[in-house]
Amino acid sequence: MSFLALIVLAGLGTYLMRLVPLVSGHKMNQWHPAITLALSALGLSAIATLIVLSISGLWQASPQTDRLVAMCLGTLAVLLSLRLFRNVGLATLIGAVAYGLADVGLKGLL
Amino acid sequence: MTASTATAQPIHFWHGLRASASIMIGYAPMAFSFGVVAVQAGLSPWQALLVSVIVFAGAAQFILVSLIAAGAGFGTVLSAVLLLNVRHLFYGPALVAQLKTAPRRWTPWLAWGLTDEVFATAMSASSQGRLAPAWCTGLGIGAYSAWVGGTAAGAWLGAGIGDSGGWLASALEFVLPALFIALLAQAFQRSLWPVVAVSMVSALLALIWLPVHLAMVIGMLSGALIRPWLGRLGASS
Repeated sequence: MSFLALIVLAGLGTYLMRLVPLVSGHKMNQWHPAITLALSALGLSAIATLIVLSISGLWQASPQTDRLVAMCLGTLAVLLSLRLFRNVGLATLIGAVAYGLADVGLKGLL
Repeated sequence: MTASTATAQPIHFWHGLRASASIMIGYAPMAFSFGVVAVQAGLSPWQALLVSVIVFAGAAQFILVSLIAAGAGFGTVLSAVLLLNVRHLFYGPALVAQLKTAPRRWTPWLAWGLTDEVFATAMSASSQGRLAPAWCTGLGIGAYSAWVGGTAAGAWLGAGIGDSGGWLASALEFVLPALFIALLAQAFQRSLWPVVAVSMVSALLALIWLPVHLAMVIGMLSGALIRPWLGRLGASS
């Protein structure tokens, strides 16, 4: 029950954050500029934070040099594919595959 | 609305659906990964599917299942998901400014599909001319079908992949960092580098003493709170 309540509230909150500004977007211009600026940066700061947390989790699971190299190769693959295809989903996929192949291929080599 | 614009709506919708192909190519494998990761985190395949059907927010869904798996409380998980999605507040006004007509009856459907990738694709298409609300709705519905379909495939067919120990299992471990790196690269503006740096450093320092979910809130808020001091150096992130 609490799982269902969590999912419904998460879905409802996300939906309202998309719907309300569509309906009354012009009213957001009346907020204090500092609040608008801080809110506008929340997405970027959330993503930056999540990179640190997800990478540190992966690193702590196996703090080896070969894993570090695989992470660098995966990151490079994401950035290059994003530049080439301009598609976040595709860049994510290519980066994950590059990491997977490097992680398995480099095991024990470094 | 005139008769000609009314008959044009299904055509616009269909064109939007076709335009969503590029999003579908990226969404399907990412959603497949979500299905696998969610089942690995302890959710049943039906629960994993339900998350995609009801929440429909890629990065937030990954965070949701990883926090549930880490044993975080109801309030922590919910606030993390909502904080991560706050950026969506800025998509609606920007999209409305690029529409040919007011969205009216399309509004609820348009809002439902307004993800990062749908917004980015719509903004990119708007450089060719104003967008029909029905076209944007088609774009969102296409993306949603790929996301839900991909999750179902991952949740039911991906069982065992995560435990196999092969390159695919390793690849799945990196889906989440790869997604965030791609999202950061897409949203990054040079003038906003202090926001990124402060978020990363404070999250890293917080991790030394605090659990992951608290480090997350500290990283997010510290980065966002320095944004007003940077002034109007760049547009919204």
